[in-house]
Amino acid sequence: MQSPLKAYKRANGAWGLRNQVLILPMHSALSSTARAIADSSDGAVAISHDWSGEKDNDLARIIFTLSGYASNPNIFATVFLSIGSPEEEQIIKGAQALGLTRFTNLLLPEIGSMEKLQQQALSIANGYVKEANSEVRVDAPWSAIVLGLECGGSDALSGITANPALGVASDRLVELGASSVLGETTEILGAEHLLAARAIDPAVGKKIVEMVARYEDSINYEGIDIRGAQPSRGNIEGGLSTLEEKSLGAAKKAGNAPFTGTLEFGEIPQVPGLYFMDTPGHDIEQLAGFGAGHINVVVFTSGRGTPTGSAIMPTIKVSTNTPMYESIPDLIDLDAGTIADGIETLAQVGDRIFNEIVQVANGKLTKAERGGHHEFALSRMYKTVVK
Amino acid sequence: MRKVLILDPRDNIAVCLADLAEGDVVQQDDITITVKNKIPRGHKIATAEIAKNDGIIKYGERMGHAVSPIAIGEHVHVHNILGDRLSAEQV
Repeated sequence: MQSPLKAYKRANGAWGLRNQVLILPMHSALSSTARAIADSSDGAVAISHDWSGEKDNDLARIIFTLSGYASNPNIFATVFLSIGSPEEEQIIKGAQALGLTRFTNLLLPEIGSMEKLQQQALSIANGYVKEANSEVRVDAPWSAIVLGLECGGSDALSGITANPALGVASDRLVELGASSVLGETTEILGAEHLLAARAIDPAVGKKIVEMVARYEDSINYEGIDIRGAQPSRGNIEGGLSTLEEKSLGAAKKAGNAPFTGTLEFGEIPQVPGLYFMDTPGHDIEQLAGFGAGHINVVVFTSGRGTPTGSAIMPTIKVSTNTPMYESIPDLIDLDAGTIADGIETLAQVGDRIFNEIVQVANGKLTKAERGGHHEFALSRMYKTVVK
Repeated sequence: MRKVLILDPRDNIAVCLADLAEGDVVQQDDITITVKNKIPRGHKIATAEIAKNDGIIKYGERMGHAVSPIAIGEHVHVHNILGDRLSAEQV
């Protein structure tokens, strides 16, 4: 099938499905300013976060998350707001190494006042927006799509409606040459050996099992036994009989395709294919990892509904049940509940999701984009230590 | 309206989309099944004869095994199947 995609080609060969101008604060104290600049701009976006330069065990994770995010191919240019620390320099160098070519770094101590910083950043951002708007999309191959698979607020229908329907769309995209990334290590616990069996080689399978074991060890350390009580009483009442079944229900977002490789949190896939990325179950932290890993479009299945979106990645929301879709139509893009009601087949809903991904890739705005939902959270492994 | 959902052609179970009662006949997607016992919506029904220790296949993947023989049309749940892992905890 000929690719109908049109996208923005970046200098390093990556493809952008959006052409965003990102205002990136490098310190928590600059977060509100970054938001204010984006709000008064002609279309720039901002994220905010709570890192204040702490140099603790999470420093490397935070630096590469921000470097990766700032250089996501959906970004035309990034305006960094800095307080002038060596770590900020590292973040910018990292972003350049990952493909960021257009950026400006504004240092508060050099500029001297928050007001001036805001004015300068606004004027630079508006200049970038003008340039970005004049750039045209060009014909792109299927490999331009790097899809992130996410679920949150799952219900008894997730595993039979939205998740396997998304799997149908993911399989089709992977078959055509796109990339697709399954995250949420916590969700595949119990099915990791089944996913490992689908790896293209034993080394990849071994890595999937290791990533889950590593996660489980960290949870055990916290004194939480996540495996023993699964599936829960509520799961069993809903019809789930084994832990494998529950985890397969989440993992089916990734369909049946073989796993090409594994990715650490925020790592960028190098060749097209299906990947497993080690991410936390927290939706917003996971989205940050996807953004840092240069994923450029996300499909998010939900049973309870969520406004979650991203400043840089269009996020398509799919409901697992029709009542939820009908109760918050301004947040949810597609309904997969029709499968449970026997109205549509998995293949039909999979088709609708596939078509929506293609349209969104080509510029159709998702409901989260229209609503301006720009969530971001840094993922930490350790307690924050102020030195 | 479909009464059951077959997730993968390799599966030996289907998911019930409505509460099914003993004696109900499900006819769709080239299968005809007479329901053997009451099965709630969201629960599984056997679409093939399953021997003791046979795998239970859902989504085309093995989600556990039968601890007793299961006939076509029977409810498939914690009373007659177990996960392949953690069986001890579940028993």
